[in-house]
Amino acid sequence: MLEVAGLSLAYATRRGAVQALQGVSLAIPRGGAMGLVGESGSGKSSLVLALLGLLGKGASLSAERMRFAEDDLRAAAARLRGARIGTVFQDPAGALNPALRVGLQVAEPLMQHRGLAPRAALARAVELLGEMGLPRPAEVADAYPHQLSGGMKQRAVIATALACEPELLLLDEPTTALDVTVEAQILDLLERLRRERGVAMLLVSHNLGIVDRLCEEVTVLYAGRVVEQGPVQALLSAPLHPYTRGLLAALPRADRGGMQRLRPIPGSLPDLTRPDPGCHFRPRCPFAAPGCEAPQALRPAAAPEPGRGERGGDPAGLVRAAGVRRVLCHRAEALAGTPWPAEEAPPAARPPIGGTLLEAEGLAKRFRLGGGVLRLLAPRAEVRAVDGVSLALRRGEVLGLVGESGSGKSTLGRLLLRLLPADAGAIRLEGAPVPAEPGPGFRRRAQIVFQNPDGSLNPRQTVEQALLRPLLRFGIASGAAAEREVDRLLELVRLGPAYRARYPHQMSGGEKQRVAIARALASRPDLLVCDEAVSALDVSVQAAVLNLLEELRDRLGVGYLFISHDIGVVAHIADRIAVMYRGGVVEEGPVEAVLAPPYHPYTQALLSAVPLLGRRERAGARLRLAGDVSTPAPARGCRFAHRCPARLGPVCEEQAPPPRLAGPGHVIACHRPLEELARAPHALLAAE
Amino acid sequence: MSAALSAPGRRLPRSLLLGLVVLGLVLLLAALGPFLAPYDPDAFNMRARLRPPSAAHWFGTDEFGRDVFSRVLAGAHHSLLMGFGATAISLAIGVPLGLIAAFRRGLVEEAIMRGVDLLISLPPVLLGLLILAVTEPGLGKTILAVGLVYVPIMTRIARAVALDLLAEEFVEAARARGEGAFHILAREILPNAWPPLIVETALRVTFAILLGSALSFLGLGPQPPASEWGLMIAESRPFISEAPWIGLAPGLCLCLLLIAVNVVGEGLRDLLDPRLKGRGH
Repeated sequence: MLEVAGLSLAYATRRGAVQALQGVSLAIPRGGAMGLVGESGSGKSSLVLALLGLLGKGASLSAERMRFAEDDLRAAAARLRGARIGTVFQDPAGALNPALRVGLQVAEPLMQHRGLAPRAALARAVELLGEMGLPRPAEVADAYPHQLSGGMKQRAVIATALACEPELLLLDEPTTALDVTVEAQILDLLERLRRERGVAMLLVSHNLGIVDRLCEEVTVLYAGRVVEQGPVQALLSAPLHPYTRGLLAALPRADRGGMQRLRPIPGSLPDLTRPDPGCHFRPRCPFAAPGCEAPQALRPAAAPEPGRGERGGDPAGLVRAAGVRRVLCHRAEALAGTPWPAEEAPPAARPPIGGTLLEAEGLAKRFRLGGGVLRLLAPRAEVRAVDGVSLALRRGEVLGLVGESGSGKSTLGRLLLRLLPADAGAIRLEGAPVPAEPGPGFRRRAQIVFQNPDGSLNPRQTVEQALLRPLLRFGIASGAAAEREVDRLLELVRLGPAYRARYPHQMSGGEKQRVAIARALASRPDLLVCDEAVSALDVSVQAAVLNLLEELRDRLGVGYLFISHDIGVVAHIADRIAVMYRGGVVEEGPVEAVLAPPYHPYTQALLSAVPLLGRRERAGARLRLAGDVSTPAPARGCRFAHRCPARLGPVCEEQAPPPRLAGPGHVIACHRPLEELARAPHALLAAE
Repeated sequence: MSAALSAPGRRLPRSLLLGLVVLGLVLLLAALGPFLAPYDPDAFNMRARLRPPSAAHWFGTDEFGRDVFSRVLAGAHHSLLMGFGATAISLAIGVPLGLIAAFRRGLVEEAIMRGVDLLISLPPVLLGLLILAVTEPGLGKTILAVGLVYVPIMTRIARAVALDLLAEEFVEAARARGEGAFHILAREILPNAWPPLIVETALRVTFAILLGSALSFLGLGPQPPASEWGLMIAESRPFISEAPWIGLAPGLCLCLLLIAVNVVGEGLRDLLDPRLKGRGH
């Protein structure tokens, strides 16, 4: 179907040609699904653009073979894309024209490529939208993109891509911009489309979990080269190339818990203007040995015994003839028994969690919606972003805060730091009330780390300036002592003194995030709010930052409020988890209690939506939510009632659910009796 | 915002270099004018009235026999002072107002911005006239008047830029340290707000020179016998058909200066804010 061999791509830049792709080969059979994984900068998106013939001016492409069915892609890409090759990009908001009705945009390829009359094309568009699982497709077709939620938009984009019944679908991070529950809906849809239409897919993703769910083969890219290729189950359960192994070792997994430290891959991507003729992972590889500097070839690997990647059947009947495993490492088999080495000495014993540090009681915050951005579906003038939340954090404890976007997590974090004025509620730091405009005492002790490493540092300040400011402001050190303190802070986050003079644009994302953490720690706080602090980072870097945060917690006794939409990360680092939905905490408790039954139905849905590696058989037990977080909720009663798959009846809509104690410190706010909730299947483990 | 936040260090655009060379030349002439001038700019010479350009008088002479070339040289500093001085005034008043409006939302912002709306709704020349008509005219007053005319525009731009920057996380980090308004505005916002402000300033100089000259032309700037270019053009009017060089010389110089400043402004825009490239004003 699709066959690419020896594809190389270079971009001309001022520093010289950047070798974005080098000798990439892959093949997808009719109806097959190939996953393409790798960290940012590995060349995934470049490959998609090359296949579509959408490369810019400065790119030079060469390939031994680039075939789609019987056509040469280099010549025919312009004719094929949109007609026989459909594409779905990451950001559904950017893929739809905000000034045109959705139906017209779905209908357009039909008019363009199939020559349908507008009326017929529109009718077909409505049908397509319905096939994508959108309720009331005629109304959706009549709406403008801003009136739809993110998940609805992505369904419309997929409908557009499928309009001309393409034989191949290129999916470039199709669910990355979506919430995990919406992601699960989209993955279900894609899975169904494969089964019913036999459309082939190339799924580009940094998320190994969704590749594992959707694909039967996977290609691992590292810095423009294919380092490993093969059937997804065998490859992910027994990776051969050191990079693949490192990637898996660095991945926090919701089903593994947080007992051991993650093992990050040291170093960063090589300079692609001067590609290494030998193995280019060598500088970061813990197994590098003589012979690695020789050019490597992607060679068939001696298959490991099939029993290791055993799965319980294949419910969707998707597995076809398993492809050959290929690997770009001359020592891969020899190393199969050697474990990935731990970067440092095993962590010191964790000090016990101390007394209550921060308490919040009945915090509330409403936002007035501005004129233009009123959602069609929720024509209310106010949003209760945080609605009467009470929680407590002890010294040295990590409280994970999870929930879909829009559930009020970030708002709660800012309320706790008094960065936003609360409408109601009280905050106490070690028993002393925190006023609405707290003084430097509170500011020193409570700090924040943000998601976006690019935005959290002032672009016009050096690292030294950024770190000195809190020291001087809070009178922690001055003069030569402050200089020494800056060095100490940099050392704390494992950056050398050479970083002092750097500006943010001279550092990588991981380095910037370390500086942001160092700046937050400069005032020696007792409480750190981490608002999606590792979400923007690549897996290998994320692992290093997570380890750093854990180490700092143990050494300095800092308590974290760890806000994240990534259940895997929270399960790894948190001691307790609070699950938020529409401004309220629906479940709270110790991490192992929250991740196992009894669940709040929302927690269960959230957890079962998480794509896990090597757990394809979970698919049957999946609990799916309809709609998304913006679906309007009843004014009284349970805030989750309108989407709850386990709704009891009118009581859910009319009465606020009672908080029930499910175990020590484990509270679930649900009308259903605990015994019933406890009978729920385990959402992370396999169904019995 | 990220494009505007990216650090400088790109190559200088060619237009910027060209504009800087011409502008530098004008500045040099303005500074050295009195020494280069072949005649006293104010000296009458009734025997050489309305002479066309010649080797003795490059730009000819006016109705009093004054050497136009010398007068143009002597007048250069007026225009430059007017352009840069007025822009500096508008910057000095407008930027702090804009930053404060962005930082203190609510009543303060309303008061500032509605005041700005009021001023911006008056035609600039009329506003200049209004300010100058009640006092004695003079160069300093013209500069002040032109500067005040452009305060609202600077306020609006500064506010818009600051509003974007205030949403950045590094500003929130500063708030989390409990930093006061002055630190946040002066240390966190202002250094990042400069690129768009400088670009606007450079383009604004052109308008300031033009408006200053227009006010002089109307007799509200420097008074005779000063050789301000706008004033010279006004004085040349009765002789436009018999001695066009009297008005043409300062007019062409004004054009050259305006084009140079404008080219520098657009070059700066390309250099500091690539997103705005090719966008008209």
